[in-house]
Amino acid sequence: MIFNSLTYLLLLFSVVLLYWILPYRSRLLLIFTASLTFYGFWRIEFVPVMLLSVIVDYIVALRMPRSSKSTKKRLLLISLFVNLGLLFYFKYLIFFSENAIGLVNLIGADIDPLMLNIILPLGISFYTFQTISYTVDVYRGLIKPEKDFILYACYITFFPQLVAGPVLRAVEVIHQFAQRPPFLWSDIVVGMRRIIYGLFLKVVLADNIAPLVDTGYSMPVEVMSALDVWTLAFLFGFQIYFDFSAYSHIALGSARLMGIKFPENFNFPYLSTSPKEFWRRWHISLSSWIRDYLYLPLAGIHVHDRSIGGLSHATIDKSKNKVLFITWMIMGLWHGANWTFVLWGVYHAIVIVIYRLLSPLTKSFSGTIKTVGGVFFTLPIMMLSWIPFRSESLDVAINMWAKVFNPYLYGSLGMRENIYLATAAILVGIFTTYWVKHKLIPSINPKSYLFILGEVVTFTIIFSLVIVFFRPINQFIYFQF
Amino acid sequence: MILSNRKINTRSAIYLVLPLFIGFIASIIILNYFSPNDSENKINFDELALGKDTMLYAAQVDNTQVHCHDLEDASHCIDGYNKISKDINNDVVLWLGNSQLHSINQMKPGDETATPILHRNIIDLKKYFMTFSQPNANLQEHYVLFNYLASKAPISTLVLPVVFDDMRETGIRKSISGAFKDQHVVNELKKTSIGKRLLSNYDDQDMTGNDMAALEETVQERVEIFLDTKLGLYWQIWKERPSLRGSFFYGFLYNTRNWLFNINPSSIRKVIPGRYIANTQALHAILKTAQEKNINVLLYIVPIRNDIQIPYDLVQYASFKEEVGIVANKYNNVMFKNLEGLVPAKLWGAKASASTTIGKEVEVDFMHFQAGGHQILADSILLELQLIWERGNINDI
Repeated sequence: MIFNSLTYLLLLFSVVLLYWILPYRSRLLLIFTASLTFYGFWRIEFVPVMLLSVIVDYIVALRMPRSSKSTKKRLLLISLFVNLGLLFYFKYLIFFSENAIGLVNLIGADIDPLMLNIILPLGISFYTFQTISYTVDVYRGLIKPEKDFILYACYITFFPQLVAGPVLRAVEVIHQFAQRPPFLWSDIVVGMRRIIYGLFLKVVLADNIAPLVDTGYSMPVEVMSALDVWTLAFLFGFQIYFDFSAYSHIALGSARLMGIKFPENFNFPYLSTSPKEFWRRWHISLSSWIRDYLYLPLAGIHVHDRSIGGLSHATIDKSKNKVLFITWMIMGLWHGANWTFVLWGVYHAIVIVIYRLLSPLTKSFSGTIKTVGGVFFTLPIMMLSWIPFRSESLDVAINMWAKVFNPYLYGSLGMRENIYLATAAILVGIFTTYWVKHKLIPSINPKSYLFILGEVVTFTIIFSLVIVFFRPINQFIYFQF
Repeated sequence: MILSNRKINTRSAIYLVLPLFIGFIASIIILNYFSPNDSENKINFDELALGKDTMLYAAQVDNTQVHCHDLEDASHCIDGYNKISKDINNDVVLWLGNSQLHSINQMKPGDETATPILHRNIIDLKKYFMTFSQPNANLQEHYVLFNYLASKAPISTLVLPVVFDDMRETGIRKSISGAFKDQHVVNELKKTSIGKRLLSNYDDQDMTGNDMAALEETVQERVEIFLDTKLGLYWQIWKERPSLRGSFFYGFLYNTRNWLFNINPSSIRKVIPGRYIANTQALHAILKTAQEKNINVLLYIVPIRNDIQIPYDLVQYASFKEEVGIVANKYNNVMFKNLEGLVPAKLWGAKASASTTIGKEVEVDFMHFQAGGHQILADSILLELQLIWERGNINDI
């Protein structure tokens, strides 16, 4: 089920209503049933696949505390084998088989490509990561295994975050379900606000930027100017940001309606002053996961236990560049089974290495110069990373990048004027929104007439546009990961 | 203590919920105000670029449709040919084009477009004449449609107008992209680089414009359609949302842009390089395909109003005409004509400007002429076609 649909709103309304009426135990059953319904509304045949991952990790984790060190390790390997096996089969089998056959054919063999037709189960990358983190945390002794299967299953399958995150840790959520959150009107209102913001970002912004991006990318690369490449990089950067942060807003809002609080997943990432800061503000839960369950163990560094802070914590050690590159390549592959995503990961690894080298030189700069200059350099660098992310092939991505570095290609515009105007307007809009949220709003009394009037006008515009544009015309981009 | 906390909480919640509630009510009032309640106030987006003085004309001859638009009505034109195919030696003349072919400025009773005139004249020569045109059609669309129609009817001659304005267009509209399901079309497109790109970019256009595209083949699809339909029955605003979306884009965003940048129908329209090159590649592909299939082509620069300054960059326009001529010369099956000055000034007209300031100003129409212009165009096309057929080999002309 997708969030920008009447079906979801109806399900959410019904679940929230029943949730606050029913006694505690029934609430958990309600959430579990609603989550399975939510998932089954996409393709019912993939519900057992998800349940397999859930059940295996429940059993494995439950047996760990009573087991010897070697048995614990074996149990952990079973969990990894099942979860990564599912992920490999559904997500990477075609990719690896194609590459393997291509490689063998290169040395003279003549093997036909496998005609595999595997459908990627929705959200598999998210829920497998979540079950893995649960088992690893139990293995590390950070948490105790949850004996109540329904409580544990609610943590993994909780529908607001099931198919596109945030990737949550057991320590962040299970206790909230267990503690029976009290009904608070403020939770309901805050939740509704988050959902409305999210719908605005998705149906008004992301879904209307999508056709502009598609039109731009359908243009032959050879006729693109450098400015076209920049514009498309920025425009897709905006699309994916609005799309994904919209999902997070709705997920956070939906959970809040049931008194459950998720950690934030985005925080104005395009206003970051460094690549390090960017990863503290973008898809925070995933980058924190990668940090704690991949980078830090590989680098032999102390492990954190919260999905906060992002991957920036993993950029401290200068001697671990090899680990950094491996981590980022895996991070890229997590997003999709294509070399373009690996290139995206390698690009970020290179950016971080360069940042590590250059950051000591900026220590003497004043705060303002660091902030303004930081945003000025970080924003375009991060936007350029979206080129391989959106490109169909390495060839296209590299050719587009090459245009950016050709000074002779800055003299023309190859697309319709509206695309450049929209890009500029959105960029200004993001900066303005940040200023309003962080500078203007804190300076006004939230109970003053001026503040309330401002909010009324804002919500009138948001509601009007959401009603007009609300339709499940596009899936969320992160559903495909 | 708990009670007092709840009081504070409730009070804070009121401040949070109040703007939400008022905003929702205000949005309903605003949408109700802008919602078109009668068909007169609805914007017809298909006719938007034509203006109010230019009418659409659906050409029929002896109750048979001879002018179609896309795959949705293609069968009407093809059936018309099939009915009399035995009498006309498997010889079809296809005319592709844009709205110039299907609209008449200041139409009066009895007026008709060039298509029925040509059809009546050409049928006497034991050939079947049919036209396919779409508003702002680009050459990439012509390329796809040409391949589709070539698999349905034995085309012997193609009449192909090239429009400077339409070189700014790109993409394959949904009503044509259905041709990607036709294996013959796919095989033909795979032969050229532009064809491959079209296949890769637009072969999944089925869901374009479908509000439920994200739910395709899911269990949710039926439920969502049911809920959407029910809501539309009880809430007029919900039903009118497509029109409101159009009004937002064309009535608000475009007008704001045009006001900010002082854009009007007479503003100079410059070439958009990416689209221009893609359309030029499509032109090459059409001519190459026609050559392979032994189809003669009459390629012409369309008539345009030339008694006043046209809204083109004149240097770019001159270069465009020259380039089309050069392209035509590369193929031995193509006759090239520049018909830009064909229709005299008195046969053009004005239109109530549509796309920029809906219905408020009268602007000169550069593209659509009166019925007299259609007669002149038909005569000229017929003359050129007769030359092609008489000589047999275009290279000798």
